[in-house]
Amino acid sequence: MPGRSERRYVYLFILPTFIVLLAVVIFPMVFLYYVSLTNYEVGMQWGNKIFVGAENFMRLFSGGDPEFWQSLRITLIFVVLSTGIEFIFGLGIALLFCGKNIKGKSFLLSLLIIPMAMTPVVVGLVWKLLYNSEYGLLNFLLQNLWGVKVVWLGYSMAFVSVLIVDIWEWTPFMALIIYAGFQSLPAEPYEAGLVDGATNLQTFRYITLPLLRPIILLSLLLRSIDALKFFDLPYVLTRGGPGSSTEFLSLHVYRQTFAQTGWIGRASATATILLIMVVVLSTILIRFLRRTYKVT
Amino acid sequence: MRRSTKIFEVVRFVLLGVVILFCIFPFYYMVTMSFKQRIDIIDPSTWIFKPTISNYIKIIFEKDIFLYFKNSLIVVVGTTIISCVLGSMAAYGFARYRFRRKEDLAFFILSLRMFPPMAAVIPFFILATFIGLLDTHLILIIVYLTFNIPFTMWIMRGFFEEIPKEIEEAAMIDGASHLKTFTKVVLPLVAPGMAATVVLCFIQSWNEFALALFLTSLKARTLPTTVTFFLAARGIVWGQLAAVSTITTLPVIVFAFLVQKNLVRGLTFGALK
Repeated sequence: MPGRSERRYVYLFILPTFIVLLAVVIFPMVFLYYVSLTNYEVGMQWGNKIFVGAENFMRLFSGGDPEFWQSLRITLIFVVLSTGIEFIFGLGIALLFCGKNIKGKSFLLSLLIIPMAMTPVVVGLVWKLLYNSEYGLLNFLLQNLWGVKVVWLGYSMAFVSVLIVDIWEWTPFMALIIYAGFQSLPAEPYEAGLVDGATNLQTFRYITLPLLRPIILLSLLLRSIDALKFFDLPYVLTRGGPGSSTEFLSLHVYRQTFAQTGWIGRASATATILLIMVVVLSTILIRFLRRTYKVT
Repeated sequence: MRRSTKIFEVVRFVLLGVVILFCIFPFYYMVTMSFKQRIDIIDPSTWIFKPTISNYIKIIFEKDIFLYFKNSLIVVVGTTIISCVLGSMAAYGFARYRFRRKEDLAFFILSLRMFPPMAAVIPFFILATFIGLLDTHLILIIVYLTFNIPFTMWIMRGFFEEIPKEIEEAAMIDGASHLKTFTKVVLPLVAPGMAATVVLCFIQSWNEFALALFLTSLKARTLPTTVTFFLAARGIVWGQLAAVSTITTLPVIVFAFLVQKNLVRGLTFGALK
């Protein structure tokens, strides 16, 4: 059936997109890798750069750039904590929404959209204000209720504070996806469970969770890919500081290129590592999506 | 037994209330702050105050906020149109035709959606400097295609696949060409899905920050990046900042409500409908 004329239409429909993506995604990726093999810096003539081979990567892995390991470490901790906590809260909220007689359920669900639809930098700013030690609302409440004052964006708390904002912003994402997952579950296993006299907890553990497994995996993967790329919130809240307590990988790249040193070649190596990590996670996501799509 | 379910329902009600309150409070706080005077802002215990629009007047006349609003609009509309045209065509190709390695190619395109902004900034910054595109609307329109085209392609593919193939076959039997069938028969049917896709593209482009921050400076600056103006060293101008934030956020929130039905589908690249 797919004869020669058919193939012509495939090209007609798909080729433009393919060419554009080649130019705007693949080419820049290759170019990034190329730059990471040079000593290019801000303000340097492009022609004067020297090809240094894998030196930038060697420096990262031989410990010549200890800040890289610090930022890799906190990035990974952040990915695990934010994704995990958001999942647990999201699951809880989704369960709350599963009640039968909740008045105005769809309206309440739509309110959940607000945190994740809000422009991320704006989210950062609003929380920066809430965290403010002089006229921030949080300290005002804490001081009046318990007489304590927390330096939210200080060295010891900054990481946690950034994490809290991310949880606020993205827990609704988890909740909405898991709730949609609940809605898509078939009724038969539950009827069978009811006949067999399963308790609520047993039903949840042995019927709901296994059925929900693909959706849980999907939401975890989507969130962890986003958390790896994390930039907007810490940029606004802390700029990676104090010290390097919130300098996630993206911020490390930012500091090396635009903020202080202008070492574009070295930063490109860091960015390439970030890209590779994202590619690995995306590959897992995609393997997994392919299986899910085949089933449905 | 009945009493315990009743208690359970009350607990559920209270918890839901807390969750919703927690979700909307920062938003509420931002909007009210934009109408507060400086004196009311520095005292967090002010809940009732005399609203003023002086913050809005200041950002419009002193900070030229409409220029940045216009920049945002140009960039977002430009990138949305291009990605929806290209993405829909590709989506149709993937939905309707069979060819070798089709799924490999489709999933490869999806994976391009994950390109981290801080990895994209460096090559685009250097390349844009070479060809003099730094600080133009065009560079942002191009860069935003990196995440919008793969996204549109995936979401639209799902919408196309929901249209029964028989309708198209009937059109072709009546003598319509492939291209004509696509524009005259398929596109009108897929219009609601297309509308949702346009809005989702709009939201994610409007909210983008990192790329806009580093690839533009004065002329083509978009709205989200202007918030950095107000993080001045001499102390943050909270009232004006809140006003800019409100103007930036409002269109997105409205749009998000509009596509609520398709939001989960968009967030999961069509995996969950």
